[in-house]
Amino acid sequence: MYANTNRGNTNTGVIIRKTRNHYLIQTGSDCIEGTLSTRLKNEADFDCVAVGDVVTWNDAAQITEVLPRRNWLSRRGAVPMPGGYAQEQVLIANVDQIVPVFAAANPRPAWNLLDRFLVSAESSEIPALICLTKMDLVEGDQLAEIEAIASEYAAIGYDVVLTSTATGRGLDDLKSRLQGRLSALVGKSGVGKTSLLNAVEPGLGLRVQSTSKATGKGRHTTTMSEIFTLASGGAIADTPGIREFGLWDVAEDDLAWFFPEMRPFLGHCKFNLGCRHDEEPGCAIRKAVVEGQISPYRYQSYLKLRDEA
Amino acid sequence: MTTFATQRFYTRPGKINNASGDFVCGHCGTFVSVNVALSGVGNRNHCPYCLSSRHMDQFEPGDRLSACKARMEPIGLTFKRTAKKYTGHHQGELMLVHLCDDCGKVSINRIAADDSIKEILSVLERSAGLAADTRDLLDRNGVTLLDPAQADLVHQCLFGVNYAGAPRR
Repeated sequence: MYANTNRGNTNTGVIIRKTRNHYLIQTGSDCIEGTLSTRLKNEADFDCVAVGDVVTWNDAAQITEVLPRRNWLSRRGAVPMPGGYAQEQVLIANVDQIVPVFAAANPRPAWNLLDRFLVSAESSEIPALICLTKMDLVEGDQLAEIEAIASEYAAIGYDVVLTSTATGRGLDDLKSRLQGRLSALVGKSGVGKTSLLNAVEPGLGLRVQSTSKATGKGRHTTTMSEIFTLASGGAIADTPGIREFGLWDVAEDDLAWFFPEMRPFLGHCKFNLGCRHDEEPGCAIRKAVVEGQISPYRYQSYLKLRDEA
Repeated sequence: MTTFATQRFYTRPGKINNASGDFVCGHCGTFVSVNVALSGVGNRNHCPYCLSSRHMDQFEPGDRLSACKARMEPIGLTFKRTAKKYTGHHQGELMLVHLCDDCGKVSINRIAADDSIKEILSVLERSAGLAADTRDLLDRNGVTLLDPAQADLVHQCLFGVNYAGAPRR
């Protein structure tokens, strides 16, 4: 859970909402609006404050310091101009778990994106809870396929919840897994992150929209990250829909470690830890894929992410 | 509403999905172009010179999900089970049978227009000497290899029914 820490005479609080250069800071039961101090603006050449950060501020409600983070989820930011360098974009900080949200249909699940979230969570050492929404939209073979894929991720060791805000399926299970923790909902636009939040905490009444009939994609309804406290205990950070999620600070050599099902095979290749698990002869991971111990889809995700790293 | 035909689509790694798809044969080292004008097929999957392939597909042709990636050796010829649509032939198209050197996967592939005729006939000859366990494996996969005695039939498929070396109908 996020909690304020009292550092003597300084004002300390948690960023619970962030818009462009405006921050809502919770301190105890009160909230104050703050901005970045000039010193902090000048020192950092990128956005250095994220939702979930514990900060201190001065009498002019200017944030003067960001306290060390317990953990954070970040992605590669957009390149500001052609030829420029991408910078780290911190989506959320100091969370207890990440909840990658994917719709069973409309829009269809992007399993590559799920693997990106999971690798990022593993590299940040944040537990992940996979949440599939809109289960009422699938039936028959489609439902069986979604459940089979969900069971594959469960077999790896991830918690998976299948939900539907229309039928109420899985909501009680989800509530119990959110209790007493600060969880961050992340996922593509239109998958139902905010609808899920409205269903878990009915009093919030957050704005939601249906997906576009023309494109089948979401409409980017939530435009800022914000933390909401749950009546049952715990809190949820709602984030805007993510179109791209480039890994940040994940080295190519470490990537296989962030796929939990590959860990038992690391170091058992012919070239030991020097193996890239692609074309090398005697690769234990490729052998495990062929023998069905590792999903070929996850292995392809690994190859794709490794090429990008 | 989402169609589930491509539900579990995973983007292929960039180096496989390169712009041209041209490749160098891992067995004979010859550069191979995938230009449709040369091969006559839209999905080049083996070397036209040595007829070797690679084990790249796991569940269905073109999925590129296999992690085996070993050489697939051409071990024989067979006919496709479905008959040709626009010809009077009872048998289907002449196909190459590939066997993975590493995991023993059997696959059947179309012969391309620029495949080496000499090599195809050589494969037919070699198939007579296949080991018994390989033949058992093919039987289990429902693949019936052509016998070298059926060389005339193969010539008809490769050169047409009016080929001088083949009997006329």
